[in-house]
Amino acid sequence: MLLRRLLDTLWLIAFWSAGLLLLLVLISILGYLVYRGHSVINLEFLLASPKGLPLGAEGGILPAIKGTLCLVLLAVAAAILPALATAVYLAEYARQEGIRQVINTTVQCMAGLPSIVTGLFCYALFVVRLGFGISLLAGGLALGMMVFPVIVVTARDALLAVNNHYRMVGLSLGVSRWYLLIRILLPQAAAGILGGILLAMGYAAGATAPIMVTAAAIATPSAGNLWEPVMALPYHLYILFSQQVSLDKAYGTALVLVSLLLILNIIAMWLRHRNGR
Amino acid sequence: MMQERMGTICLLVAGCSTLLLISVLLFMVLESWPVWSAVSPLAFILGTDWNPLAEPLQLGIGTMILSTLWTALGALLLAVPLGLCCAIFLAEFAPQWMANILRPVLNLLTGIPSVVYGFLGATVLVKFFEINFAMASGESLFCASLVLTIMVLPYIISTSESALRAIPPEYRQVSLALGVSKPYLTLRVLLPLAKRGLLGAIILSFGRAAGETMAVLMLAGNTMVLPTSWFSKGEPLPALIALELGTSEVGSLHYQGLFAAGLVLLLFVLGMNLLLALFRRDRRSGVS
Repeated sequence: MLLRRLLDTLWLIAFWSAGLLLLLVLISILGYLVYRGHSVINLEFLLASPKGLPLGAEGGILPAIKGTLCLVLLAVAAAILPALATAVYLAEYARQEGIRQVINTTVQCMAGLPSIVTGLFCYALFVVRLGFGISLLAGGLALGMMVFPVIVVTARDALLAVNNHYRMVGLSLGVSRWYLLIRILLPQAAAGILGGILLAMGYAAGATAPIMVTAAAIATPSAGNLWEPVMALPYHLYILFSQQVSLDKAYGTALVLVSLLLILNIIAMWLRHRNGR
Repeated sequence: MMQERMGTICLLVAGCSTLLLISVLLFMVLESWPVWSAVSPLAFILGTDWNPLAEPLQLGIGTMILSTLWTALGALLLAVPLGLCCAIFLAEFAPQWMANILRPVLNLLTGIPSVVYGFLGATVLVKFFEINFAMASGESLFCASLVLTIMVLPYIISTSESALRAIPPEYRQVSLALGVSKPYLTLRVLLPLAKRGLLGAIILSFGRAAGETMAVLMLAGNTMVLPTSWFSKGEPLPALIALELGTSEVGSLHYQGLFAAGLVLLLFVLGMNLLLALFRRDRRSGVS
């Protein structure tokens, strides 16, 4: 009996410490990034182009911020319509269990696709076969392919979370499904869908492997030309570290990237939480 | 008119996503086709020499597959016990306020991009190994596994937590009525009941760990020697593709070999996901 009780206590300690460890990991990651990165960040770092030799050792990261912004917007623009249509189908229109299961499995498989395989596919298709070259367009489409399942899953769940009474009342009033969808269901699910889109943007902004092979350049003067390579924050971070350009600047870049993503994620969480109520 | 057809249009669009997935697979097969005739599939997978520029060229990805398995399985070895403990904690033991803190923490952990994990691992963990174990360079498959552990933890935890929560409350009530302690109930009753869901969580995270690129690229050391232990260096498949794609000449056997490597990785991860889908379907039919 005593042994039993001892074992129980030990397990309790294990469970609690596992939970606390998680908290500790996040706090130490963020804390360390702030500790090492905060001294680099100033207005010049955010608003200047990389300078110095090797490039990036001095100056700032403005082109990388701009490039990441372009990539993310392009990715969401490419993915949003097909993703919403798929989500609407899954949540509202799917009547045959078979088809729904196939599409659900597809979305799940796409979510599980290793990002480097997405990159490989888009490199072969867009960069080589279609002749886009290493460009913003190819990278945006690659990221679009990556965020597609994220938007589908979040939008589907947001639609499914809408109270079923709305559907029943609407249908009993003889309102068409389309009208019901546009006027009732989508507005009700809007916060959740928007949260999902923000989540997808964060996902796209942090992805490195796909843009490494399809879009990224170490340095470009301009950002925003569809047919030119772009700089991007995660790739810039990778280059700063792996070419041993400047560890301080790398910490600064990482801090900027992570803060950006945390803000996006927190807003997304808040929106989706509101939707769930 | 258009409004009535909305369902059909949505179905068509959704169908296109399936086509896209199939076309990814087909494209990889197509691009890597010449490799399979030049090298037999078995030799490609088991071969340990990768030297696509030599004459005659050697294409074997055995070393990379072994590295991938070491890092992914190693990450699971660490992440599964830890993740299960966390999931049990969240589902059964954590007070409400604690759970309200931990769930957002999980979301934020998934929100940190892999390149940042890789970067921190390389500057902190690798340095730590170099200093404390007097290694010439601290990169190893073990380092990659450690970082992957943190990366897959959120997936394991949230999937296993929902598996635990899906167990009907009667089991808990009956066991507690019988005077069984709560840890005993959790370990002996709830865990076996949630077995299927937990296995699903492990499969999911294995696929994730095997396909992760940036962290292993920055941490595993990138040498093409056959890894003999968890602590040796290696070059997992995704790192190989990321490193060499830019320098391979389009249309050469080197280029096609990389696609063949991508195909192997893709088939592996897709297989894991389909297995998972099968598991989920079984569970659903088991309930109804």
